[in-house]
Amino acid sequence: MHEHHDHDELSRRTFLKALGASLALAGLDGCTRMPAEKIVTYVNQPPELTPGVAAHYATSMVLDGYAIGLIVEAHDGRPTKIEGNPEHPASLGASGAIEQASLLQLYDPDRATRIRNGARASSWQAFAAAFGPAGLRNRVGARGAGLALLLEPTSSPLIASQLATLHAMYPDIRVYFYAPLLPTALDAALATRGLVAQYDLRAADVILSAGADFLAAGPFNLRYARDFADRRRSPANGMNRLYVAECNYTVTGGAADHRLASGPDALERMLESVLAVVRGNAGNTDSWSAAVGADLQSRAGRSLVIVGDAQPPRVHALGAAINDALGNTGKTVWFTADPVLGAGDPNATITSLVAALGSGGIDTLLCLGGNPSYATPGRLEFSSLLRRVPNSAYIGLYENETARDAKWFVPAAHYLEMWGDARAYDGTYSLVQPLVQPLHGGKSVAEVLGALVGKSSLDVRSALHAAAPKQIVDASDDGWTAALGRGFIAGTALPRVAAAPRPELLTSPSRAQAAAGSVMITFERDPHVHDGSFANNGWLQELPDPITKLTWGNAALISSRTAARLSVSTGDVLELSYGGRTTRIPALIVPEHADDSVTLTLGYGRGGAEHTAGDIGVNVYPLLMDATQRTVSGATIARAKDGAHHDFAITQSHWTMEGRGQARSVSLGDFAGGHMPAAVRARRTLTIYDPPPRLNAPQQWAMTIDLGTCIGCSACVVACQAENNIPVVGPEEVANAREMHWMRIDRYIEGSTTAPRTITQPMLCQQCEDAPCEYVCPVGATMHSDDGLNEMIYNRCVGTRFCSNNCPYKVRRFNWYDYNARLSETEQMGKNPDVTVRERGVMEKCTFCVQRIREAEIAAGVEGRALRGSDVTTACQQACPTKAIVFGSLTDRDSPVAKQRQDPRAYSVLEELGTNPRVEYLARVRNTNPRLEPDA
Amino acid sequence: MSAAARPLVEQPPDREPWPVMRGEHPAAALTDHLLAPLWRSSPTWWLLFGLSSLGTLLLLFTVTYTVARGIGVWGNNIPVAWAFAITNFVWWIGIGHAGTFISAFLILLNQRWRGSINRVAEAMTIFALVNAALFPLLHLGRPWFFYWLIPYPATMGVWPNFKSALPWDVAAVTTYFTVSLLFWFLGLVPDLASARDRAPSRLKRLVYGVFAMGWRGSGFQWQRYRVAYVLLAALATPLVISVHSVVSLDFSIAQLPGWHSTIFPPYFVVGAIYSGLAMVFVLLLPLRRAFGLYDIVTEAHLSAMAKLMLAMGLMLAYSYVVEIFMSWYSADFAEQYTYLTARPAGPYAIAYWIMTVLNVVTPQLFWVRRFRTSTRVLFLASIGILVGMWMERFIIIVTSLNRDFLTSSWHIYMPTWVDWGILAGSLGLFGFLFLLFVRFVPSVAISEVKELSIELGRDGAELAGAAGDA
Repeated sequence: MHEHHDHDELSRRTFLKALGASLALAGLDGCTRMPAEKIVTYVNQPPELTPGVAAHYATSMVLDGYAIGLIVEAHDGRPTKIEGNPEHPASLGASGAIEQASLLQLYDPDRATRIRNGARASSWQAFAAAFGPAGLRNRVGARGAGLALLLEPTSSPLIASQLATLHAMYPDIRVYFYAPLLPTALDAALATRGLVAQYDLRAADVILSAGADFLAAGPFNLRYARDFADRRRSPANGMNRLYVAECNYTVTGGAADHRLASGPDALERMLESVLAVVRGNAGNTDSWSAAVGADLQSRAGRSLVIVGDAQPPRVHALGAAINDALGNTGKTVWFTADPVLGAGDPNATITSLVAALGSGGIDTLLCLGGNPSYATPGRLEFSSLLRRVPNSAYIGLYENETARDAKWFVPAAHYLEMWGDARAYDGTYSLVQPLVQPLHGGKSVAEVLGALVGKSSLDVRSALHAAAPKQIVDASDDGWTAALGRGFIAGTALPRVAAAPRPELLTSPSRAQAAAGSVMITFERDPHVHDGSFANNGWLQELPDPITKLTWGNAALISSRTAARLSVSTGDVLELSYGGRTTRIPALIVPEHADDSVTLTLGYGRGGAEHTAGDIGVNVYPLLMDATQRTVSGATIARAKDGAHHDFAITQSHWTMEGRGQARSVSLGDFAGGHMPAAVRARRTLTIYDPPPRLNAPQQWAMTIDLGTCIGCSACVVACQAENNIPVVGPEEVANAREMHWMRIDRYIEGSTTAPRTITQPMLCQQCEDAPCEYVCPVGATMHSDDGLNEMIYNRCVGTRFCSNNCPYKVRRFNWYDYNARLSETEQMGKNPDVTVRERGVMEKCTFCVQRIREAEIAAGVEGRALRGSDVTTACQQACPTKAIVFGSLTDRDSPVAKQRQDPRAYSVLEELGTNPRVEYLARVRNTNPRLEPDA
Repeated sequence: MSAAARPLVEQPPDREPWPVMRGEHPAAALTDHLLAPLWRSSPTWWLLFGLSSLGTLLLLFTVTYTVARGIGVWGNNIPVAWAFAITNFVWWIGIGHAGTFISAFLILLNQRWRGSINRVAEAMTIFALVNAALFPLLHLGRPWFFYWLIPYPATMGVWPNFKSALPWDVAAVTTYFTVSLLFWFLGLVPDLASARDRAPSRLKRLVYGVFAMGWRGSGFQWQRYRVAYVLLAALATPLVISVHSVVSLDFSIAQLPGWHSTIFPPYFVVGAIYSGLAMVFVLLLPLRRAFGLYDIVTEAHLSAMAKLMLAMGLMLAYSYVVEIFMSWYSADFAEQYTYLTARPAGPYAIAYWIMTVLNVVTPQLFWVRRFRTSTRVLFLASIGILVGMWMERFIIIVTSLNRDFLTSSWHIYMPTWVDWGILAGSLGLFGFLFLLFVRFVPSVAISEVKELSIELGRDGAELAGAAGDA
C-alpha cells in the first residue's frame, strides 16, 4: 500500500554503495534466510489445517448496515482472498471491488494499533473502567442523561439486544445512527416510514432507471447485476430492455440500451411525463418519455422503475406511482422493513445528534465506527462539536479525523477479525466469523457495548448465539454450527409490506428550474472509496473509474458543453460555491454528462493520519448541506481565478476505437434476424505459415467474455489484483501508464457523435496460440504450455520488454521499480502464497490463474480422477457479478466455453493479426427501441 | 618539429580535381608532424577533455542511479517500453558504421584517399560501439543477467531463444566490435612503432613498444601485414552490412505497425552510414584545423565524403517515401494510421518534421560544389544530420509504440532528466575517449600517408592530375 514516494529512496550512503557495486557488476548474492535460532517442527497439526492447503470460511461483510455473504480463503490462518458466498442472496457467489479490497484493509499498515486517552497510551482495562457502569454513572448519573452513542447503521440482532440492555440500564441514553449514503429519500417518499424497496429484475422486461446505479452501487447490487444479466445472456430469448436517465455516466448507464443525459431537474420532469403517459393522460410530451412510457405500459406488471438514492423524495414518489400505475408493485418491486436499526426514526439521525450537541446536553459521546468528523455535511460542523464534548470516545480502524477530535481512541477490529451478525438488504440473517485474531488488538462494536454494560471481556460468539432471533435459530449447538458454517440462515428475508407514495408529494410542484448561470450538484457515492471509508485502500484508489478511468482522486464531473461554456478543459481547477461555501476542485469532462450539472463524489480529501488517503482528491462534504438531500440546485461554478491545473492519473484517455472494431455490438433486430453486420462477425484469417504445433494436453484452457453482460463494474480487476499479488504503484506511476493491473476494463464510445454509447471490454492476456510475445523473447522467458497457456517465467526474464512491444493487446506489465521491496509485515501476510511476488525488472501478465489450474490438477490427481474443465475458476470469473466471464477447457465439447465459441456473436480481438487468441468475446447485443432509434 | 617544407595552413580552394595530398613532404617531416600531438598537449585539449570528463561523470552517475533504482527512473511506460535507450543504441551503432565503411570498403575498392581519414573514422567506430553496447545492457530490467542472451553452455541446458532477433543482435554487435577493434589495431601497429622510435621518454618508449608488438618495418613484416590487413578488410566489409541489418530485425520481426517492414535492413544500413559520415565530418574538421592537416585532408576528401553523404541521404529519402507508400498500399488500418496520421500529425509531429527536414533537405546542399568543400557548411550540415538521424530512430521506436493497435492503451512518452542525462553523458564519454585517442594514438595513418606521399612523388601527375603546386 505504501507504493509510491518512498519505496526506493536512496540515501547518499546506499547510493555510493550501489555505485561501487554496479561498477563491479556484482551479481553474487547470498540467498538463504534461515533463522539463526533453533526452530521447532510442526508436530501437532490441527485437523482443519494442512500447511500449504487453503481453508475456506463463510463470513459476512457489513457495509452501511447491510450484510454481504462471503467465503474467505485463508492460508495458515491468514486470510488471503475474498469470494462471494454462492448461497447468500446478496452475493450469489459474486463479490464487488470493495468486498475484494476489504482484504487489503485488514493488512493496512496504517491501521491504528494502540488505545489512547488523549495523547497518552492507555489500555482496554482503563477504557472499560472509564466507560463501564461504575465509571459512567459518575458522569451521567443513573439514568444516563447526557450519554449518547453514534453508531454506523447496523442491522445486527446482537447489537440490537445490547442496545436494549443499555436502554434498560440507562433509560435516558440517546442512540444515533449515521452513514452518508443511505436510501433515506425513499423513506421520506412513502406514507409508511422505515421501508426499503426490493426489486426482482428477473421478472422485469422493461426497466427504467432514474439516476439509479443499481448494477454497481447499493447493498444488493451484486444480486441485481446477476438478475439483470440473466435476462441478457441469450439475447434471442426474452432479453430485457434498460432505459437509464441519469446525470453522470455510471456503470448502469453504460449497460443501458437507451441512455438519456438528464440533470436532476430534467429527471423529475421526465418521470412526471412518464407517469402521465402510463396513466393515459399525456398531453404533449417529449419523444423519450412517450416512447419509454409506452414501452413500460406494454409490459405492465413486468416492467420496473428504479429511482436513485441521491434523488429527492418527490422523484421517489413519482417512481413509486409509476410502478403502482403499471401494476408492478408486488411483482417486480415491493417494500420491506429496512433491516437497519433506527430506520425512519427522525430522532436517531445525525441532525438530531448535532442539535443535542449544540444544546450542550451531552456529556459523554461514543462514536462507534464511521468517521463523522469527516463524513458529515460541512454545515453541521460536527468536528468542532465533537471536540467540545467533555467525554468522548471513538472506536475506529484508523487514527482519522474523528480520532483526532475524540478524547479516547480504541482501535476497531476489522470484520475479518471479529464475531458478529447482520441482516442482508432483504433481511437474511447473516453471520460474521473471524478468520484471524485481531492483528492490532482491535475491538468490535459488540465488545465495546459489552464494556459499557460491565462485560469488558465479552464472549461475542456465545452472545451471538444467545441474541440470535429465537424464531430463526434453533437452540441446538449443531444447528448453530451449521449456520456459522454456511454464513447465513436461508429463508429469513423480511416479509413484504404494502406502502404507497405520499400523495402530497405527487401533487406538489416540481422543483423550480435553476436560475440561468447556476448549476445543479449531485453528490454521489464514489466508485473507489465509497463514502471515504476505503480512502486508504490502494487497490480501490488505483482501480480506474468504470467510465472516466480516473484513479487516485475525484473531480467535478461536467459535460463537454458545460465545460465549453466555462471555457475549461479537463484538469482545470474550478471554484464551486454552494450554501456560502466554496470548494476548489478540478474539472473532468465526461461525454454525455448532463449539461449545467455537476457530479461530485464523496470520500476524498481526507485529513487523517492515513498515508495512502492523504492529499488525494478533494473533500466535498463541506458543500453538502444535508446527507438526505444529495441533489441541490443554485450552485455557482467558475474557473479558478489563478488558472490552477491538476494532472489526473487516468488510465485510458482515448475514447474512440478509431475503426479498429475491438469491442463489437449489434442491435437485437439484426442479431435475431440472423443478419449480423460484417463488422461484428468473426473474420477468417488466412496464413501462409504452417499452423503451430498441435497442443495435446487433455485440457486446452480458454475463456469467453460476454460483452452483452459485462457492465464494466471492475470487480474482476480487484479480484485479479488480490489473487495474483499485483502491486499498487501510486498516482505518479499511473499517470505515466505504469499501472500493474493484469486485467483492465477498456471503455470505448461507439455510434454517432451526437448519441455516443459506451461499451466496456475486459482486456487481459489473450493467451494467443500464435503468441507474438513468445518468439521475440531472447531468453525464452515466455513460452507456451501444452495446455494452451502463454506462460511467463519470472526468474528467466531479463526484462528486455520486447514481448510488451510486440503484444498487440498491451496486456503485459513491467516492474519498473521494486514495487514489493518494502512491504510491511502485515502486507506480507496478505500475499497469496500460491503466486510468486515479482521482483524489479521482470515482466508479468495474466496467467489464466495458473496456480488455480495446477491446484485443481493436483487435487484431481490425489482423488485419482481426470481433471474436468469445470474444476477451475479464475479469480476474475469467480468475482464477476454478471457471470460474463466463462472459463474452461475446449477439449470438453459440451463445456460452456466451447459452446460459447460456437456462438454467432463470438469473435477474437484483432483476429486479422492471426494470433489465435484463447480469449474470445461475444459481441454485445443492444435491445434498442425502434421508436427512439429508427435506423437501428 | 619540422613542417618546414611549407606551412600546413588552410589554402584557398583549388580547382577540381583536387589533389588527395597537397605539397611535397619529406617522410621524416610527415612523421614528426603527425606524431607531434602525442608529445604535447594544448590548453584547448585540456578544456575539451575537462568538459568531456564531466560528461563521463554524468553518465556514470545516471547509469548508477538507473541500476540502483530500476529503469523506472526513465520515462518509459507501457505501451512505450522502449524509448531513449534503444534510440541511443541504434544511433550510436549507426555512427559506428562509417569507420569500417571508409576503411574496409574503400580499401577493397582501392580508393587511396581513404588513408588520410580512416584512422579517425575507425577510432570513431570503436568509441561509438562502446557507447552503443552500453544501452542494450542498461535497458534490461535485470542487467546483471545480460549474459543470458549469449549462447553459452549453461548447466541447466537453457539456450537463448534463437527465434528472437535479440541474441542475433548481441552476436552481430560483438562480432562487429571485435573485428573493428582488430582492424583498427592492426592498422595502428606500424604507427605505434614509429611512436616508439620517437618517444621522448623511457616510459613512453616502453608503452608504445609493447603495443607495437615488435614491429621492425622489414619487407617480410610489411608483406604479411598487407595480406592480413586486406583479409581483415574483406572480413569487415560484410559486417558493415550485416550488423545494422540485424539491428533492424529487432524491429521488423515485430508485427507492430511502423516496425513490421521488409525495407528495414537496407534502410537501416543506409541511415547508419549516413549518420556515420556526418560524425566523421564533425570529428575530422576540427582535427584538421587543430593538427594542421590541410595538406593531408584536402578538398578531395571533403568533396568525396560529401558526395557519399548526398547519395546516402537520397537513398534514405527514397526509403521514407517507400515506407509511406507501402503503408497506404497495404490498406491496413493500423499501418495507415501510424504512417499517415500518427507520425505527421500525432503528438510527436514536431520531431517527425525536424527529422524529415534535417535528413532529406540538408544533404541537398551538396549538389553545390562550393558547399561540398566549405568546412562551415559541412560541419553544420553534419550536426543537423546527426540530430535528424537521432530523431529518426526516436520516431521509429516511440511513435510506433505510443499509438499501436488498441486505442485503450495509447499513451504519451516523455523523457525524464535521467534519460537526457544518459544521452548527454554518452556524448561525453564519446568525446572523452576520442580526446584520449587523439592525444595518445596517431590520429592519421602515418605509414599510409607516407606511402601515398611517396607514390604521389613517383606518379603524382597520374594521381593528382593538375594539382596546383605539385
